[in-house]
Amino acid sequence: MKKKRQRYRSMQIVAGLCLLLGSALTHAQNNFTISGNVTDKMNGETLFGTSIFLKGTTIGAITNEYGFYSISAPQGPYTLVFSHMGYKEITMEVVLDRNQKIDVEIEEFSTQLDEVEVTAEEPERAILRKPEMSVSKLNIKTVKQMPVVLGEVDVIKSLQILPGVTNNGEGSSGFHVRGGAVDQNLVLLDEAIIYNTSHMLGFFSVFNADAVKDLKLYKGGIPAKFGGRVSSVLDVRQKDGNSKNFALTGGVGVISSRLAAEGPMFNDRGSFLVAGRGSYAHLFLKLAGEKNSVSFYDLNLKTNYNLNKNNKLYLSGYFGRDVFNFDGSFSSSYGNASGNLRWNHIFNDRLFSNLSLIYSKYDYELGIEDFDFDWISSIKNYNAKYDLKYYFSDAFKLDFGISTIKYEFDPGQIKPTGPDSAINELQLDKKRALESAAYINAEHKLTDNLTAQYGIRFSHFNRMGGQPLSEYANDQPLVYNNTLQFYQRTDPIGETNFKKGESIKTFSNFEPRLALAYQINDYSSIKLGYSRAAQYIHLLSNTSSVTPLDVWTPSGKYIKPQLSDQYALGYFRNFKDKMYSLETEVYYKTVDNRIDYVDGSDLIGNNTIETEVLNGESRAYGLELLLRKNEGPFTGWISYTLSKSEQRTFGGNAGGPGINNGDWYNTPFDRTHDISITGAYRFNEKWSFGANAIFQTGRPVTYPNGQYQYEGISIASYSDRNADRLPAYYRLDVSATYKPNKRPDKKWKGEWVFGIYNVFNRKNAASISFGQNFETGANEATRTAIFGIVPSVTYNFKF
Amino acid sequence: MKLYHKTLFIALLFIGASCTDVIDVDVPEGPIRLTIEASLDWEKGTTGNEQTILLSTSTPFFDNQGNTGVTGATVQVTNDNDGSEFVFNDQNNGRYTTSLFVPVLGDTYSLEVIYEGERYTATETLFPVTDISSITQSVDQGEDDEVLEVNVSFEDPADIENYYFLRFQSRNDLLPELFYIKDEFIDGNEATFYYEKIEDEEDNIVEFQPGDIVDITFLSASEDYYNYLQLLIEQFEGAGDPFSPTPVALVGNCINEDNPDNVPYGYFRVTEMVKSSYTFE
Repeated sequence: MKKKRQRYRSMQIVAGLCLLLGSALTHAQNNFTISGNVTDKMNGETLFGTSIFLKGTTIGAITNEYGFYSISAPQGPYTLVFSHMGYKEITMEVVLDRNQKIDVEIEEFSTQLDEVEVTAEEPERAILRKPEMSVSKLNIKTVKQMPVVLGEVDVIKSLQILPGVTNNGEGSSGFHVRGGAVDQNLVLLDEAIIYNTSHMLGFFSVFNADAVKDLKLYKGGIPAKFGGRVSSVLDVRQKDGNSKNFALTGGVGVISSRLAAEGPMFNDRGSFLVAGRGSYAHLFLKLAGEKNSVSFYDLNLKTNYNLNKNNKLYLSGYFGRDVFNFDGSFSSSYGNASGNLRWNHIFNDRLFSNLSLIYSKYDYELGIEDFDFDWISSIKNYNAKYDLKYYFSDAFKLDFGISTIKYEFDPGQIKPTGPDSAINELQLDKKRALESAAYINAEHKLTDNLTAQYGIRFSHFNRMGGQPLSEYANDQPLVYNNTLQFYQRTDPIGETNFKKGESIKTFSNFEPRLALAYQINDYSSIKLGYSRAAQYIHLLSNTSSVTPLDVWTPSGKYIKPQLSDQYALGYFRNFKDKMYSLETEVYYKTVDNRIDYVDGSDLIGNNTIETEVLNGESRAYGLELLLRKNEGPFTGWISYTLSKSEQRTFGGNAGGPGINNGDWYNTPFDRTHDISITGAYRFNEKWSFGANAIFQTGRPVTYPNGQYQYEGISIASYSDRNADRLPAYYRLDVSATYKPNKRPDKKWKGEWVFGIYNVFNRKNAASISFGQNFETGANEATRTAIFGIVPSVTYNFKF
Repeated sequence: MKLYHKTLFIALLFIGASCTDVIDVDVPEGPIRLTIEASLDWEKGTTGNEQTILLSTSTPFFDNQGNTGVTGATVQVTNDNDGSEFVFNDQNNGRYTTSLFVPVLGDTYSLEVIYEGERYTATETLFPVTDISSITQSVDQGEDDEVLEVNVSFEDPADIENYYFLRFQSRNDLLPELFYIKDEFIDGNEATFYYEKIEDEEDNIVEFQPGDIVDITFLSASEDYYNYLQLLIEQFEGAGDPFSPTPVALVGNCINEDNPDNVPYGYFRVTEMVKSSYTFE
């Protein structure tokens, strides 16, 4: 019943969208158009999110990811303004009597290295009028200014001090958005899917701050051009490379160092960027006689080539790897690799297009020397997408495109490494799938005060054959044992062999997206959003933190696609001439078909995952507040989130009450309160200071509720899932940046960043484990705290 | 396969230079329940007549483990294949014993316990166990290349599913080292498992020294019992680690026929057992 109603609602929305679209097209006027590119004067980087508007009108546009803009207005004289936070505003008088192309270069207020500048995303008029909501955008300069553990700049950790974004404790990979799981985030680096965002089990992110231009996190209101994940989209863009002159940037830290080289090439028709980063702490440890080591490195590449004024090619790549080596027992290595070839083509002053061919891979290897075997798993995808943007009129812009992704899953193989190995060779069934989508999205100014963004994405998922699939009696891979009261695996009764050309199962979904912005007055607006998203691939993880060895699995006969519906309402306001801004949002999100794992599930090396899971649902709701001070020597923000995230899993076809007796239980990502305060203070030309303070409700966990004696040991008994909590988490970090005296004409610019992470040396529990004392046998609770106080020093340079 | 997650936890502790300490935690208090430890283990080469069943009650988690043995229960085991019955006598200390038990490989047995007016039952089949092929000591194996460990090897019979329970108990220590073993990845091969102690000053763990004695028991297990042991051992060793699954209630094979919600803890197992001990040289 429920499914039908949702499908019906989707259809209604589609019908509504068609009507709106029709009205927009009939109202289009015969205007003139100004189009062009906006770039940074210093390094030639294209600028995303620059606001272009005609002074005294409500006509305006924002540059796209490639710095392109197009603006249309009736004939007449205008003052054209280019405005970008942190850059000098440019105004020019134009007489609009024909279509014209205007490329501009804009200059930063200060070109010093890492200027203290906490920037709001766009100038006031754009923020308020654009229906875009639930978006966090961080300037890489802001990120670089925050105090960080071990002095390593980390874009993911910076996101976590914004409302609605958390992690699962120190030393956990990934991040959680509005109570969602790690696998519900679509993480894109130059459009390529990144499957694991962390180095060293979460201590560092895979994004090298020197290679990143900007990042944007969509917590909701995801534009129709993105799809495939139900919780969020993190869109990270690499720098194109300095097209003006050759430049070196780098940093030397305690744990790792980085170096980036960029410059013009192809006779100034293009530019390149090469950035590398590596840890070297393991080398010192080796010298000190330590036999164990952990290390990581990554490499970012980007180059672009201007074929002519309407055609530009981009090639970008990423390769990152983590290596653990524990002498004599195990070694492990894992990482992402990706590449993207793009072709920007401008058909005319109103139609912009981009074609991308993308490859992405994540693989994990583990060698257990004690038992002489290797474990290998991987996920690969090939992605082609074509995106177009049509600037129909000032009041109406249209995004549309298609995308298709071919996935190849290798859930695991075991290879004996020696003739004496007791382990037999094993290959789990490889899986294949094709995910395709088409979308259309309109940005439509309905009146001077009311702007709408509405669109629809149609997605299709084909779980392809080429593998055998187990069959179970009554289609029950697991069944509730009524006498003993638990879920039990059932044995397959047979196998169906699907040929490569066959489909095991197909799914399709309409995903409507809608956002409205109503500007109440010059300084405040209300926004409203609804979005539906489908997710066809899932990360299998029954641990409280995801691990690098968790494998992805496609939807199919037994695991259904996740479907989310999110509603959000926001109020946005600027105070004191943009000095302060306040962003508040409430949201309510539901996810259907969220799988959870039955008690005692065993996921590793398991060829029949369907015997371990039940399809459930989750819901999350909350209130987010963000108050920022945007200008002056002292800048910063206070962010507060009040939220709830829980899930419920019924027995369904397997019978029985479900997980946790079919009652709602906390997801591991539920945080009632999450407060962070970030400040940056520029004392003088030489010194600036930063601080973070963070307070968070503890992570939900399951504590024992009793014990009994068995086999001579004390066995803990447990009851409700995630009903208890770790102690609250809090810490304070500080940093100081020192820029030595330098002559303005000198090319070499350096700075020292001193940081102290966790100033109060508070032992925040990353986990609490329960067990018997080895000596006395008494039960005890053991807290693991990852970081106490950690001082650091980093030297950054630019040449 | 607990190894996989353990490796990550070791790595995590290493990277973070993290510290662990014992703290006070308030834990919830669940209902007090009957615990049935009915382990009928037939040691190879013996008659297996002497058997003991332990009955006790659970306690709050941090209670010091006094004797919670229960008395006044009636305990009986029946061989379902031939109908023979074995009554276990109350020793008034939580132990219920018989000296008349007759183990038969492949036979199925039923347990019946009546305690405080409620009847608990369970059934289990007796599977054979393969012999231990060798017990050796070494230094260069195991996690640490400079520390003594004892290695136990056995030949897994090919082409049939086998499940095992391997238990090491050092005579100097309180706590055992437990292994649950399934032949899924080692079918038909000779497999070796080791017990090594890594020095830990905080926990007062010392490495094995020449002269130390380790008792070894190697048992056959049913598939259900293997599943039970797997969870039991994983949670015993690492419940609460960031890379461990959320800890859950263990479900044994004993049913409360009169009050299904008052589920007993423990397990009724009937196994064949190989016993040995090893003295380090």
